Amino acid sequence: MLMRTSITALLILSCLGSEMLQAASSGLVQRDHLQAELVAEVDSVQPGTELRVGLRMVPDAGWHTYWKNPGDSGLATTIEWTLPEGVTASEIAWPYPDAIPFAHLINYGYDGEHLLPVTLSIPADLATDQSLRLEASADWLVCEEICIPGDATLELELPVSNQAPVADRNVAELFAWADARRPEAVDWPARFSTEGGQLSVQVESEAIGSARGWEFFSEDNNLVDHSVEPVLNAGKGQLFVAQALSPFVNRFPDALDFVLVERPNNQAYRLNAEAGALISTGAVASSGASSGASSAPQIGWLSALGLALLGGLLLNLMPCVFPVLSIKAISLVEGAGSDQRAHGLAYTAGVVLSFAALAAVLLGLRSAGEAIGWGFQLQSPWIVGLLIYVLFALGLSLSGLFDLGGGLMNTGQNLTEKSGLKGSFFTGVLACIVASPCTAPFMGAALGAAVLMAWPMAMSIFVALGLGLALPLLLLSFSPALARWLPRPGLWMDTFKQAMAFPLYLAVVWLVWVLARQTDANGLAAVLIGLVALAFTLWLVGKRDGGPVLSVARHISVFAGLVVAIAALAAAARFNAEQAQAADAWWEDYSATRLAELRADRDRAVFVNMTADWCLTCKVNEGVALNKDQVREAFDAESVVYMKGDWTRRDAAITDYLAEFGRNGVPLYVVYPRNGGDPRVLPQVLTPGLVVSAVESL
Amino acid sequence: MKNLLITSLAALAFSFNALAAPQVGQPAPDFTVVDTVGVEHSLADFAGKKVVLEWTNHECPFVVKHYSSDNMQDQQRMGRDDHDVVWLSVISSKPGAQGHVSPKQADELTTNRNAYPTAVLLDESGDMGRAYDARVTPHMYIINEAGVLQYMGGIDSNPSSNPADIPGATQYVVAALTEMAAGEPITDTMTRPYGCTIKY
Repeated sequence: MLMRTSITALLILSCLGSEMLQAASSGLVQRDHLQAELVAEVDSVQPGTELRVGLRMVPDAGWHTYWKNPGDSGLATTIEWTLPEGVTASEIAWPYPDAIPFAHLINYGYDGEHLLPVTLSIPADLATDQSLRLEASADWLVCEEICIPGDATLELELPVSNQAPVADRNVAELFAWADARRPEAVDWPARFSTEGGQLSVQVESEAIGSARGWEFFSEDNNLVDHSVEPVLNAGKGQLFVAQALSPFVNRFPDALDFVLVERPNNQAYRLNAEAGALISTGAVASSGASSGASSAPQIGWLSALGLALLGGLLLNLMPCVFPVLSIKAISLVEGAGSDQRAHGLAYTAGVVLSFAALAAVLLGLRSAGEAIGWGFQLQSPWIVGLLIYVLFALGLSLSGLFDLGGGLMNTGQNLTEKSGLKGSFFTGVLACIVASPCTAPFMGAALGAAVLMAWPMAMSIFVALGLGLALPLLLLSFSPALARWLPRPGLWMDTFKQAMAFPLYLAVVWLVWVLARQTDANGLAAVLIGLVALAFTLWLVGKRDGGPVLSVARHISVFAGLVVAIAALAAAARFNAEQAQAADAWWEDYSATRLAELRADRDRAVFVNMTADWCLTCKVNEGVALNKDQVREAFDAESVVYMKGDWTRRDAAITDYLAEFGRNGVPLYVVYPRNGGDPRVLPQVLTPGLVVSAVESL
Repeated sequence: MKNLLITSLAALAFSFNALAAPQVGQPAPDFTVVDTVGVEHSLADFAGKKVVLEWTNHECPFVVKHYSSDNMQDQQRMGRDDHDVVWLSVISSKPGAQGHVSPKQADELTTNRNAYPTAVLLDESGDMGRAYDARVTPHMYIINEAGVLQYMGGIDSNPSSNPADIPGATQYVVAALTEMAAGEPITDTMTRPYGCTIKY
């Protein structure tokens, strides 16, 4: 059977000759740096169907032709058809292009063999006893460094048959290429605006998942500056594009066709956007969510307590805490007797009270409207500087430069004395102080939850944290059995102490880095000088021998050293203040309490901007929209309070705020109307006009 | 990563700025460029006269379109004779790049094509082209008597390389010069130029 079919086919082939074989192609024609031909996907035409044909172009290596929108220069390829009566041709179904850079320009086109497909509609009454003759006049520009216009008139004849056509395998790969690059036409809601010197496009679709690599191609040749790479920002269900407007743009279209390509799977979409202000339908969804923070997943009080306790325990292992406490632990077990318990309790009291004091300050400041969270103590260069000094001094003491004395370090001999209890208490305070720059695992979640709770509950979480920190030493002091596991103090302690100095120095380095972020090079140098002065002072303190003259000189020097160290800190803080003043112009830092206050105030509307230094879109939006005079004026005129949350560094409050709106990233722009109504979320790509109209419509 | 972001930000800002350089209604950028006979020309030299700048590259098919059809030469004659403009053809192709010509070749091109520019400027460094953000050939600029930029953009409204398209297209320079002479506001002050990229 198979044999007979093959023979029949052979017979037919030999009868029809080679003409038949070439029927699906016009044959390649050679022009300057390019070969072109007209091809059909199948070998015959069936009346009443559609027929796919295409212009196959093969530019020389290094040469390219152009897409529908050729970009900054170039010219799109065109095809003009001469077709039999009743046959109609579609537009070219443009495969999405590649961006082809040339010097400072960007062109869109194809730099290899490609196919521009066209679909022909074949009328049902097409006679089957003749062939279909297609004629296409193609015009193109083929460019390398120079450009050469080319044209060709290509003819293709296909037999008409009622039989189902057979695909031409020679061109299957070409059509497959074009199909892979064919953007799927989708009707996702899309809008665009041309305000503020940029094209802003907003697209909404469930198909847009997390941020992946998207590419944007405007089909409008005269709207954007192709050489300025578009900024794309894809989030859950939304995608924003910003691209500089073309310097030659003279009138704006009412609608914009564009292509989005999702990488790396190369899925392409073709969309149409309406001109108009970008608005967020996401606002509808989020206004429901924002009616109460309770809808956001949060950890409860008890689990927060547990996490705080665990976090406190882990704090003992942090590099700034461990050296101090390990020595304290060993010295504690040296003495025996009931006094140990008293010392353990005194120490615990010191830790817990310090944490409670810290919490009181934190919660007090927050209720006063300060935008702070855990780590607030590190936002002041004064405190960071003092911590640097304290840790450095402790390190020097461990290194043996001087003896801190029995007081704080409480290394044993006065354990038996009653006054030693005070020492244990202050060791607790010291533990809290050296622990404060650290965040142990589990702490962040607990404290993040704490700051949103009523103060008694918040306070209890801080107390739990303190208890966790104090727990190991407390247990040791109460359980001689546990204490037996610890090595006996001895000569090795000196070596151990000296070794423990190094984690402290590393903690100092870390804090110096923190400080460097808050001040400038001058401030940093000042603090480093302060460290040298401190080391000098402590070295003198350690030199206890010498006559009375030396003693006086020593006292003067110690005093001078301390003055220098403090002055250095003041210098660093001043540099910081100058920076802060320069920046703190017309917005308030975000705080949930302050926001609630403002929302209660019927005369004031609020604009919230959640931003971060590392967020490109945020900075672009601030530059092109938010910092524009017209926006400031509108804010003033409408008595809008501009609140800004900086998420550059982790900020639980901002994270929670973002979560209220179902977001986990910046930018987020929210406007709260004056009447206390539901907030409205603005798009992630802003224009001055958009912000002004959003504010004026409040 | 942060550096990369800052760089891209800076690049973005720079791009916006660079493009903002020449603006219609603002003083046109100054230039000092030598012509084919070694004479140095500055914009200031032409104070009190209208100046038309025509970026050109004789091998560019789009330039050829407007020279082979005599469209460009006609506009040069109309500009200089009827509107008293100074017509400067500018070649910004760098030495060795396509379109770069010696002074002698440039003069021969003028003669052979029966062109009629006031002078042909050889902007080998590309400084003048970049100052005007000239991107393609032909790219046209009109500067008024006070040195203020009046028009920048394409030669006409039909971006094709086919001379047959010229009669149906709006010739922007002709239109702008006519409107200026009549004291009317210019309809199209900025259009998208089409042509071959300039080989800086």
